Amino acid sequence: MPQFEAAGAQVVGVSADHIATLEAWGKQNHVHYLLLSDFRRSMLPAYDALVTDDKSPIYRYAKRAYYVIDKNGVVRWIKVEANPLDLLDPAEVLKALKESGV
Amino acid sequence: MRRIALPLAAALLLTGLALASPVAALEVGQKAPDFTLAAPGGKQVKLSDLTAKGPVVIFTFIQAFTGT
Repeated sequence: MPQFEAAGAQVVGVSADHIATLEAWGKQNHVHYLLLSDFRRSMLPAYDALVTDDKSPIYRYAKRAYYVIDKNGVVRWIKVEANPLDLLDPAEVLKALKESGV
Repeated sequence: MRRIALPLAAALLLTGLALASPVAALEVGQKAPDFTLAAPGGKQVKLSDLTAKGPVVIFTFIQAFTGT
């Protein structure tokens, strides 16, 4: 995470959890980046990052996706994982951030 | 009647197709849709508030407390 800060970027994690859940989870895991709750599923569809699954107890949840957005609010890099269990190496995101020249 | 019916049917078909097609995917180079989301401490955070301070790396994840 310090490498992202050194590169001048803010790291933000978004899920469809309630903010109270995210807050508790963040405290328990000493999360130092900003956590945001899209409990109303308003942001995730606009970012093509919402899964609707009738068979899931969560029903509508976030995909695993990564976005680099520059200071003008323009999307510079996107990676949406087909399998939500696939974690991207943070180094790959950092590389994308640096290469996007933001 | 046929002269009206055919273009009308075509127009209805095209409207139906347009309505049925999925929302255009977010692409590199596009303006990121702004959002206002709940943050810890009862705050509301807008994307534009964040980008005003510099570039932002956003990641989305399935559910807290699950390792996903």
